[in-house]
Amino acid sequence: MNRTLERILPRVQKPARYTGGEYNAVVKEREQVDVRYALCFPDTYEIGMSNLGVRILYGVMNEMDGVWCERVFAPWSDMEEEMRREGLPLYGLESGDAIADFDLIGFSIGYEMAYTNLLNMLDLAELPLRSSERCGLSPIVVAGGTCVYNPEPLAPFVDIFSLGEGEEVCTELIALYRTARDEDWSRADFLAAAAQVPGLYVPSLYDITYHEDGTIAAIAPRDGAPAQVVKRIVQDFEHAYFPVKTIVPSTEIIHDRVMLEVFRGCMRGCRFCQAGYAYRPVRARSPERLIADGIAACTQSGYQEMTLSSLSTSDYRQLEALCDGLLDWCEGSGVALSLPSLRADNFSMGLMQRLQSMRKSGLTFAPEAGTQRLRDVINKNVTEEDLLQSCRTAFSGGWNAVKLYFMLGLPTETDADVLGIADLAEKVYRVWREAAPDKRRGVRITVSTSCFVPKPHTAFQWEGQVSMEEYKRRVQLLRDHMKGRSISYSWHDPETSYLEAVLARGDRRLADVLESVWRDGGRMDAWSEFFSFTRWQNAFAACGIDPDFYAARVRDTEEVLPWQTLSTGVTAAFFKRERARAYAVQVTPDCRTQCTACGANRLSVGGKCDA
Amino acid sequence: MHRLAFSKTETARYISHLDLMRTFQRAFQRAGLRIKHTEGFHPHPFVSIPLPLPVGFSSTCEVLEFALLGDCNMADVPARMNAALPAGIKVTACYDAERPVKQISYVNYIVTLEYNSGSPFGIVGQIESFFQRESVVVQKRSKKAKSGFTEVDVIPLIERATVEERRDTIVLDLMLHAQNPGLNPQLVVGAIRAELPAAVAPDYVCYHRRALFDGQMELWR
Repeated sequence: MNRTLERILPRVQKPARYTGGEYNAVVKEREQVDVRYALCFPDTYEIGMSNLGVRILYGVMNEMDGVWCERVFAPWSDMEEEMRREGLPLYGLESGDAIADFDLIGFSIGYEMAYTNLLNMLDLAELPLRSSERCGLSPIVVAGGTCVYNPEPLAPFVDIFSLGEGEEVCTELIALYRTARDEDWSRADFLAAAAQVPGLYVPSLYDITYHEDGTIAAIAPRDGAPAQVVKRIVQDFEHAYFPVKTIVPSTEIIHDRVMLEVFRGCMRGCRFCQAGYAYRPVRARSPERLIADGIAACTQSGYQEMTLSSLSTSDYRQLEALCDGLLDWCEGSGVALSLPSLRADNFSMGLMQRLQSMRKSGLTFAPEAGTQRLRDVINKNVTEEDLLQSCRTAFSGGWNAVKLYFMLGLPTETDADVLGIADLAEKVYRVWREAAPDKRRGVRITVSTSCFVPKPHTAFQWEGQVSMEEYKRRVQLLRDHMKGRSISYSWHDPETSYLEAVLARGDRRLADVLESVWRDGGRMDAWSEFFSFTRWQNAFAACGIDPDFYAARVRDTEEVLPWQTLSTGVTAAFFKRERARAYAVQVTPDCRTQCTACGANRLSVGGKCDA
Repeated sequence: MHRLAFSKTETARYISHLDLMRTFQRAFQRAGLRIKHTEGFHPHPFVSIPLPLPVGFSSTCEVLEFALLGDCNMADVPARMNAALPAGIKVTACYDAERPVKQISYVNYIVTLEYNSGSPFGIVGQIESFFQRESVVVQKRSKKAKSGFTEVDVIPLIERATVEERRDTIVLDLMLHAQNPGLNPQLVVGAIRAELPAAVAPDYVCYHRRALFDGQMELWR
């Protein structure tokens, strides 16, 4: 181990996060590899190691001959301070080598508030922040993840964005890099060639012009870059790589269990949900493969807990067969199976009773809105009766804690919708009174609200976000009407939601703001102990940028959007249709009932969608 | 009841006590070794580590207690476990637990004081005379005391101490009381830092636990 690191570690919290050496961590001989890849996650080890995407890409790349992919996470503040003081640059956990010397540096970005961490990690690696200031072929800075469906605020810092599922395109990018290195291409030539690979977006090849009013006039590709970059999907999901043999951290992480990915995509079409649209088309794995993978992953990792992970797991067609198959093995092996992402409308009694023999934790439902009208606007096709019925099932089965998630500030929301949340919580309480077999232990109903963030590539991508003052007023209104000792109400502060709204639909003029926030000490902005809203306000002021232009403004549907060059496969025409239906309070049936012609099926060979 | 003797070095030094128990629980699963579970509402594989090792220490004398189920050849256990453990943890033996843990009386530590610009002149003598003192009372963190601290006299808990100078380092070979009460060598180094001139303070200290002894100074296992 590096001497400097060894001297630093006794002074920092949870040093096991910075050492590598975990079971199944991939260590290769430096002489045996010709491509070094730093897979970076712009948050802590505990969060990054819980990310299934990181584990998949790590496995895929390390299966390649001559490629060594290592993990890099954002150091906590104490570690960062020590690294800077001792002059220890950011290193790969497996080798301890400085990542500035690697060939490729890839970030996985799933959250806007991690943007400052990306900048900080480039700086800790001792690399220039801006793509234009980095010269030579390596390292190439790549970024993927859900945020890159509109990566514009990060455009000047990142060389290549990878849209969609990365497991195939990462191998293509590495192959292209090898050619470039062997043939001694310039950095510019390599980036121009990368822009020809489907799914790769090279932001420096697009010139953007603006109107007087600040909106975009045109986005013009250069050097043969495509007018539209379409995200990649894995064509054969049934046979695609799944990390059965995966790293088992030696210190506790957030999701410290086997995660089984049941399907990709979502058939629901909630109009606010970027993930629901962006991961289309739906592709499911067979229960046979999932059962085999689940058992193997538990046996190989030693984990005693397994969870099914997908956007809406209970929509899996063969859920009963899958759970039965897994539970048959789990019960004999002392492994606990858990199911997240239950929908309130198809929560099954039979399934619950089987899971009941295992651990009994609280249940979480996300009705999102308090009235049927507003749930219809957002196309959350859950009725009050569905929710109450699911609660009844849960309470009569002995559960005594329910969490209900809502958003405030959804398009068309009125005070009546806000008060509907209090009503619904009260009805849930009455259901408990009727259904609970044993009332001595009471019930805990937790309502929480967050401020709606309009996201790109959704039906609500043109909406304005409500102001922070208005959100707070609605929170207060709800607080005043939330009665009963068994019901507790908590709400998220609107500051981060506001910044998310700015960044999620921002353009590349925001890059200066990001850099300014970072220079002012901004990092770990997803952590309340480090987040400072004032710092962001100062940066907006210093850069002469009005954040309301991005967060609060209602866009015209004909406006050129910063992410217009990027496609998730779902068409703008579909989003416009969905938006019109939202304002007409018309629901759209789920994709299983009827295909809505969103366009994403064209990404599959043969136009297939498993919804 | 069975025991594993294992070493904890390199990157594994930074695995905390609780994380280490979890790591072993999973390693038993991976190795396909069935071990006894705890009773109660949330049964989990039972493992116990008698003298928790502070984070950052290396050790060649760690012990883990557990109960192997079924007829499994104890001689195969080290190899099976080593294939299932993370880097830096190496099982050297598996055996029946015979002697009670309370017979562990002394722990031998090798403490290396490192100096960036060479060890200060005369330091060996200064540290030696420190160990000759009648009493050195230091503050120790305590969960029980209201103030969060209690006072402890380190000298009676040091059974034997030798000091040796090697190029840029000073090596302390300490035989410390193991339990009821035991002494953490970090407290000894803390006392040396506090009692001797600042120029003598090392730039880095490396702790290694070398062996466990019973009351008769025989190796305990």
